[in-house]
Amino acid sequence: MSAVPVPAPATRAWAVAGLLGAAALAALPFFANPYLVATGLTLLMWLALTQSWCLLSKLTGYVSLGHVVFYGLGAYLVVVTWQSWPLPLAIAAAGALAALFAALIGLPVLRVRGPYFVILTFGIAELVKYSILAAEAASGTASRILFGAPDLIVIYFAMFALAAAATLLLVVVGRSRFGHGLRSLRENEEAAETLGVPVVRYKLLAFVLSAAIPGMVGAVMALRSTYFVVGQVFDPMISVTAIAMALLGGGDDTRGPILGTLFLFIVSEVLWIRAPLAYMLILGAVLAGFVLVAPGGILGLLDSRRARGASGA
Amino acid sequence: MNDADSAPLLEVRDLGKRFGGLTALSGVSFSVAAGETVGIMGANGAGKTTLFSLIAGNARPSAGTIAFAGGRIDGLSPDRICRLGIARTFQIVKPFPGLTVLENLRTAAMFGRAGLRDRREADAAAMAVLEEVGMAALASAPAATLTLAGQKRLEVARAIATGARLVLLDEVMAGLTATEVAQMLDTLRRVRDARRLTLIVIEHVMQALMKLCARIVVLHHGERIAEGTPEAIGNDPRVLSVYFGTAA
Repeated sequence: MSAVPVPAPATRAWAVAGLLGAAALAALPFFANPYLVATGLTLLMWLALTQSWCLLSKLTGYVSLGHVVFYGLGAYLVVVTWQSWPLPLAIAAAGALAALFAALIGLPVLRVRGPYFVILTFGIAELVKYSILAAEAASGTASRILFGAPDLIVIYFAMFALAAAATLLLVVVGRSRFGHGLRSLRENEEAAETLGVPVVRYKLLAFVLSAAIPGMVGAVMALRSTYFVVGQVFDPMISVTAIAMALLGGGDDTRGPILGTLFLFIVSEVLWIRAPLAYMLILGAVLAGFVLVAPGGILGLLDSRRARGASGA
Repeated sequence: MNDADSAPLLEVRDLGKRFGGLTALSGVSFSVAAGETVGIMGANGAGKTTLFSLIAGNARPSAGTIAFAGGRIDGLSPDRICRLGIARTFQIVKPFPGLTVLENLRTAAMFGRAGLRDRREADAAAMAVLEEVGMAALASAPAATLTLAGQKRLEVARAIATGARLVLLDEVMAGLTATEVAQMLDTLRRVRDARRLTLIVIEHVMQALMKLCARIVVLHHGERIAEGTPEAIGNDPRVLSVYFGTAA
């Protein structure tokens, strides 16, 4: 068994660090002030979105630029069913709606690869955004206010659960036979299919799995803002930020999203407080620097000793 | 289940494939018995690789039928055909470059006819294949770092690791040095005998084809123009005229 070189995606040290981080985040609301709790909530939101994005895009190589569509649909469902559906049901339904939408568009969308897939996912997200904008305008509701949203601490723990679920899902999928099939089709789809991987079914399942949690994240975040604007919950920057975090982190397991989310999150918090005007400039420079100097992301820098070749190229 | 002795393992009937106005294959029929090694010969563009693509399901036939182990397989998806027991290699190699050699074979062992869902079992089976083809030392090397000879060998190893009964080898010796060809021939014979594989071999290295195959099918412009033992093929006037342009 020791002859089998398993490239141990999560060594014991990583697992311990992850559990300590999770414990710290779970304890945060009990001693921190509301500002810090709200900051922690944002961090958890990005973690949940980035892990979910990686399940599709890092494992299969199909880069989605439209993941915000699932977030937006989830948020919209909660807003539309506000005070008529019990909240837990609405949040679960938001996940189901996002998954269903992914299943419906998945078969045609996943037939195209590379830049075409990127542009198509972006276009679909924009299409849904403008359709809902039009529907809202037609019904005369330019914006909506949610009265009686739950406390911050409730929202925080709901998001904590979603971030933990997204992380666990990527761990389980990444280590499974299904995950190995996804990596194989990422590396060469025709070869994978010829070796027995049911690529059509696998891609669709990855797409659906990567959509469900973002749908619920959107639902929970709708409660946080209490004030609903379509353009905000379908903002393409949400997709782009999750991608930036995933790329900064590197790799195709859960460590990359964790490192990338933490890094970008801390950098943006620090910059935003100290240098609000230069914020976007410096952020852009950091991202460009990573792409040029360390295309493998933070994990690539850490693992450079292992020189695992051109998988991220 | 069915008596394999009477029925051929693979039976191709009146197979045809058109790409738009171009006819790549037309009316090709032949059969392969279990345990046989059959060579496919023909100039560039004769339709050899198209034939493999149709059998393995990478392309759909425009006409004709393909039966494997008694059941129709034409029109099935490549992954289903692989699980039924047919594996192919690609002339233009298609490794999983970012995965290690062992991980490349793991895919085959997990998803092919072998169907070893447990990773440890799949890896053990994959290691066994790597030892048989002399690649055990490269198990943890990324596939992208292999030489051409190494990548051709990986194609063969991956096809075998699926647990296939019928393996389609598409020019696995092209571009190799004489020494490498000899090693590949040796490996193929050994693995074929040990695993009782049925092989269909496309090869431009004629000496290799003659040594490996008891029977050769010759394609020309998408049609079968001859079939027989290597000696008979070597003396067939149609084959000679196609290859050397002599009026025999």
